Amino acid sequence: MTFVTAGAVPLPADTRSRRIRAYRSMARMALKSLLAYQTSFLFGMLASAFGVLSMLYLWRSALAAGPRQGFDWPQMKAYLLVAFVVGSLVSSYTDYRMANRIQQGDVAMDLVRPVDYQWSRLAESVGFAVYEAGTAIVVVLAAAAIFGGMPPPDRDTVPLFILSALLVLPLRFGIVYLSGLLVFWTQNYVGVQAARIALITLFSGALVPLAFLPEWMRVIATYLPFVGMASTPALLYTGSLDGSDATTAVLVQAAWAVALWWLARLMWSAAARKLTVHGG
Amino acid sequence: MVAEARRALWLYRRLLGAQVRATLQYEADFWIMSLSAVLVQAVGVVFLWAIFRSIPEINGWQFWEVVLIYALVVVAEGLSVLVAQGAWTLAVTVNFGQLDAMLLRPYPPVLQVLSSAVGMNGLGNLVLGTGLLIAAVRHVDVSWNVGRVALGLLLVVAAAGVKIGLNLLTNCAAFWLRSPYSMFAFSMHSFGELARFPVTIYGLGVRITLTVVLPYAFMSFFPAAAVLAHGPARWLGLLTPVVAIYCLWIGTTVFRYGLSRYESSGH
Repeated sequence: MTFVTAGAVPLPADTRSRRIRAYRSMARMALKSLLAYQTSFLFGMLASAFGVLSMLYLWRSALAAGPRQGFDWPQMKAYLLVAFVVGSLVSSYTDYRMANRIQQGDVAMDLVRPVDYQWSRLAESVGFAVYEAGTAIVVVLAAAAIFGGMPPPDRDTVPLFILSALLVLPLRFGIVYLSGLLVFWTQNYVGVQAARIALITLFSGALVPLAFLPEWMRVIATYLPFVGMASTPALLYTGSLDGSDATTAVLVQAAWAVALWWLARLMWSAAARKLTVHGG
Repeated sequence: MVAEARRALWLYRRLLGAQVRATLQYEADFWIMSLSAVLVQAVGVVFLWAIFRSIPEINGWQFWEVVLIYALVVVAEGLSVLVAQGAWTLAVTVNFGQLDAMLLRPYPPVLQVLSSAVGMNGLGNLVLGTGLLIAAVRHVDVSWNVGRVALGLLLVVAAAGVKIGLNLLTNCAAFWLRSPYSMFAFSMHSFGELARFPVTIYGLGVRITLTVVLPYAFMSFFPAAAVLAHGPARWLGLLTPVVAIYCLWIGTTVFRYGLSRYESSGH
């Protein structure tokens, strides 16, 4: 499915634009493959929708007596729904496919392709993300309809919110890609994936805003890359994060996105060596 | 009849034992699966604890009572994954036409399917779930006597039966959807996760679905209410063993019906 065909038009001599064309078509193919097999994807989305449904009901009951830790019910609703949409990015096939190809040894084919492995996976993830975000927004609209609407974003922080939401993509990609590469060592993916999801859910504040966690856990969370994957954009949406704190939070997101990218490069070169050992 | 049932049970144990041995060949896998299961469930408990740090009770349910409900889901999940994980292989089995071989063997196909896999994450679930259950039981305000302990144990086993029956039922979708992925059953499993909290927090539609249509609430909320003698739900909780038998019956019935539609692969 990731085949790049040149088509009738000859490729331009310039390798850079040639690469970009290749990645663009990879993203397109990823989106198309998702659309072709969308039943499974939609059931997966339904599963996450049930997750957000139970969170909404639980928080509605929990906050019925009044606001807690600075969150009232409408704010919490907005927080959870924004966290759901950004959490849907890079959540379906990127790591699953990688893990599968690594386990089966098909990754050897990926190695001989004249494109960069990491950029290729990112391109595919962007393709998936278009559909992931689209369906997640539909779920959110439905949830908002059931739970009596969703407050609009805070006007002052809208530009930063959009930037922050976009940064979730490279951030989540970094984590998902790194955990996918772990399969070179573990051979097992189901467990790795479950552990990753659990860690992200807790330390990104996707289930419970970090303000509800005890001090020591919040300190741990600030040193981890996960905060930028739910908490930051969701707090920017509700307007709970503003001024220099907001700018800092978004800069931290960007810094982590870059750091994870290079960390993944390092890990990939170690993993590729590992594969050579396997092949004898 | 008794001899037949004993033979069936003996074979089931043998089949499952073969799966356990096969799985334990991959020692690292075993540890990754067990530890990740503990981590996943522990995060769920931290989440509950974080909420109850700020809010003393939700809908009349206190922290340890909700932990009891939660722990029942973890234990039921653990048991179902350990003894009947095979339900989740049905999608691949049907899609690749691998049911053919099972149909030729002199042992009920449904039991062959159920015993065809063992999930080592079940052990992690079981350890953590039991720990939570014990912790919760020590904190809730219930006077324990022999009868209540026996009731509790019966309800835990019945709760696992509910989960196994519903897993089988939802995975039977493979006969109709014919996709090699069990995503439909997985989405229903996620719906079942709603039973980790007191069902009184949900809207009427969700509550009815959890109680009647896909009675996941009988693996946690109703048994917990029965043991705690909490609210009107306690009487329903006593029905858990009946619901378990019903779920297992409907699972096998739909399986048999699905089997009549099975036409192997390549046709």
